[in-house]
Amino acid sequence: MNEINLTINGRQVKGKKGDTVLEVCQANGIDVPTLCHLDGLSDVGACRMCVVEIEKERRPVPSCTYPARDGLVVKTDTEQLEKYRRQILELLFTERNHFCMFCEQSGDCELQKLAYRYQMDNVRYPYTFPSLSVDSLSDYLVIDHNRCVLCGRCVRACNEVAASRTLDFSHRGWKTLIAADMEQSLGESSCLLCGACVQACPTGAIFSKLSLYKGKTDECQQITTVCPGCGVGCELNVLVKDNNLVRIEAPRLTEPRGPLCRMGRFELLEPTPPRIGSPLVRNKEGELEECSLSRAVQVIAEKLAVTKDGFAGMISTRIPTETIALFNKFVGEVLGSDSIDTIDGAGYRVISEGIKRFQNNGKGLGIECPIEEILEADCIVVVGADPEKTNPIIGTFIRRALNRRKAKLIVIDSSRDVFPLWTELWLKPEAGNEEDILNFLAKIIIDNCLARQDRTGGEFFRSLSRYEIGEVSRITSIERKRLELAAELYGRAERGVIIYGEELLRSQAAGSITTLLNLANITGNKVGDKLRVISLKPCVNSRGAWELGLAKGIKQDKPKGLYLLLADERDGKELLDWVGGVDFLVVQASYYSSVTSMADVVLPSPIWAERQGKCVSMDGRALELKQVLQPKDGLLQDQEIIIEISRRLGHKLILS
Amino acid sequence: MAKIKVASAWLDCCSGCHMSFLDLDEALIDLAGAIELTATPITDIKEFSPVDLGIIEGAVSNEHDEKVAKDLRANCKILMVWGDCACFGGIVSMRNLFSTEEVLRRYYIETESTKDGKVPSSEDIPPLTKVRPINEVVKVDCYVPGCPPSPKAIHYALTELLEGRIPIVPSEIMRFD
Repeated sequence: MNEINLTINGRQVKGKKGDTVLEVCQANGIDVPTLCHLDGLSDVGACRMCVVEIEKERRPVPSCTYPARDGLVVKTDTEQLEKYRRQILELLFTERNHFCMFCEQSGDCELQKLAYRYQMDNVRYPYTFPSLSVDSLSDYLVIDHNRCVLCGRCVRACNEVAASRTLDFSHRGWKTLIAADMEQSLGESSCLLCGACVQACPTGAIFSKLSLYKGKTDECQQITTVCPGCGVGCELNVLVKDNNLVRIEAPRLTEPRGPLCRMGRFELLEPTPPRIGSPLVRNKEGELEECSLSRAVQVIAEKLAVTKDGFAGMISTRIPTETIALFNKFVGEVLGSDSIDTIDGAGYRVISEGIKRFQNNGKGLGIECPIEEILEADCIVVVGADPEKTNPIIGTFIRRALNRRKAKLIVIDSSRDVFPLWTELWLKPEAGNEEDILNFLAKIIIDNCLARQDRTGGEFFRSLSRYEIGEVSRITSIERKRLELAAELYGRAERGVIIYGEELLRSQAAGSITTLLNLANITGNKVGDKLRVISLKPCVNSRGAWELGLAKGIKQDKPKGLYLLLADERDGKELLDWVGGVDFLVVQASYYSSVTSMADVVLPSPIWAERQGKCVSMDGRALELKQVLQPKDGLLQDQEIIIEISRRLGHKLILS
Repeated sequence: MAKIKVASAWLDCCSGCHMSFLDLDEALIDLAGAIELTATPITDIKEFSPVDLGIIEGAVSNEHDEKVAKDLRANCKILMVWGDCACFGGIVSMRNLFSTEEVLRRYYIETESTKDGKVPSSEDIPPLTKVRPINEVVKVDCYVPGCPPSPKAIHYALTELLEGRIPIVPSEIMRFD
């Protein structure tokens, strides 16, 4: 039986074996004050606010670290305990600078709330007035050691949630400080700017520059939506005041899918380029000039009339599925073209080809496993991908697996080791030579009897016969020993996960992808009918758009006309090079950019926070984007503009 | 019933707590029927005579402050302090992070708008000491923290005192900012 019975404050309560006394109290609605405890993080008993009296214990004990057991008799609310707690608060307040009137966190501070609760209207100890430093060199975060109570929540969040291992304690006793790496400034440390620490900090010791003085939690409306930053699709809790973004938090910081990265927590709050507020067309001098929507449509219609068959459509995959489906109809019916693509479509076509060669008429992207598999992995192979850059939460997942499960990490990358502090083995192929390495890897796995051959593997086995093991170093320029080590690590792993991304896709490596899938297949790395292989996808609705068939590809080398729904996507160099040769460019975008400056017609578009609709995460979960802000100056939604243009051109489109 | 006699003083402070008291607005009219202000910054009487209630705003920052605090304590039955400076040291105690010389030099010589500044010296100017909350200097009977305390908190404390109880500001209206 897992159930245990305790007496708390004279009441009979039940708990589970393995619970702490604090957990039993919380589960039974018994209020015990805490400061260094944060649900989901490990407990350390640093602050002593949660002290309780336990029969037969000689002195009060912190309930957060005291294991509950059958028959314990606990008191949480005696006069003596309340005295101790008040005394602890007074000691905390005198130790550093905890004067609230000029603290950014006043009103959102757990230390302050506790002082109010214990009616701390005076302090009986002399203040120490230490003069400690304030570290403000980080892009987004400030650490004010004067406001720190050394609860260690940031240290634990950095290690357990972000798995970054940047923050720790330095020095000892009352000289203890929070430190980044070897007492570097946070801005010069290994900090990844995920902001788990800022959310965990109970006082004003760590705060975000981007949210400074914008509003207190209880003045804000809180809306849960999905991060548009990459394909992972993390949940965001967005705090809004007077139609302005104040702060972004993780709704469930300590849960497996809880942590956020710099994109979700900070980059969305950064200053943006100027917004496009009205349609623009080129005037006689060739300059873009504000105009009405009718005028813009007229210009598009005139061009369409003379360029039949020459048009193409391209759309950002930050946009929700409903609008993407509408855009598909718009390009087909209104622009009269079957030349359509998503901005990230080229990558998809390589992935899709790779999967097709592995499993003709198979499930497509459905063959990939959920990203939670990374957390449970004991060996991770990252091929031509830089998760920390493109999908940072995947980086966090990898580091968590390395931290907690002692997983081994193999990086196969032609340019650099993307996890220099963590990698067990870095195989460095010549760019574009990944396929050979992977095939040799498979060959060694099979030769060393690490494969679990089944029906589906046969053809693949045969295809490897052309690889002569003695030729390894000559063909791949990698030592045989190193490949054998990689084969050993991945081949023997119980749960090996392969992750690939941008760099691999850039080398047009459908063959490599097929081999990756085969590798997972022959080593039995399956979950149900899925393989432990994950491709990194760049946008929140990449998968949704791809599966709707939008990533067909632009047929013409240079289309005569291009309708580009860029939305709030930042323009990349590749996109710029590509649109350069287009005769007639219509761009629907939120911000002025190099692309809009090349356009013949510019139409406004809402930003992520102003849109709503469905999307599909990179591992296939259906998500819902919520509208967080009212569109600026009553701006029309993307779909409203498309419907309006269609109507004026004599087509009736409806949002499905 | 005879009116309760009240004296007050402001030491190292911004006078915000007394302003907050004046922000009691119409509640002042009722209070005026129950209390009599003697020496206060509001009446501008500086010599204390014996009173029932003494009130201090601000921290003790120099020898003069200390003398005033001790003087008022000696003349009142109950001493109440207002504001974070008096209760804890507050914002004025931030100068404890620096030496007196550094503070004076910064203030009189180094400020950006100062030209040819000089630290004034005269035996009439009381020397600065370490900034201390009132209870480090004299015994305090009740505290109303806040920067400044809300009129509500001040009203609560005064009403409790008038009814013969030593007030402790309840959590709901206690503020440190």
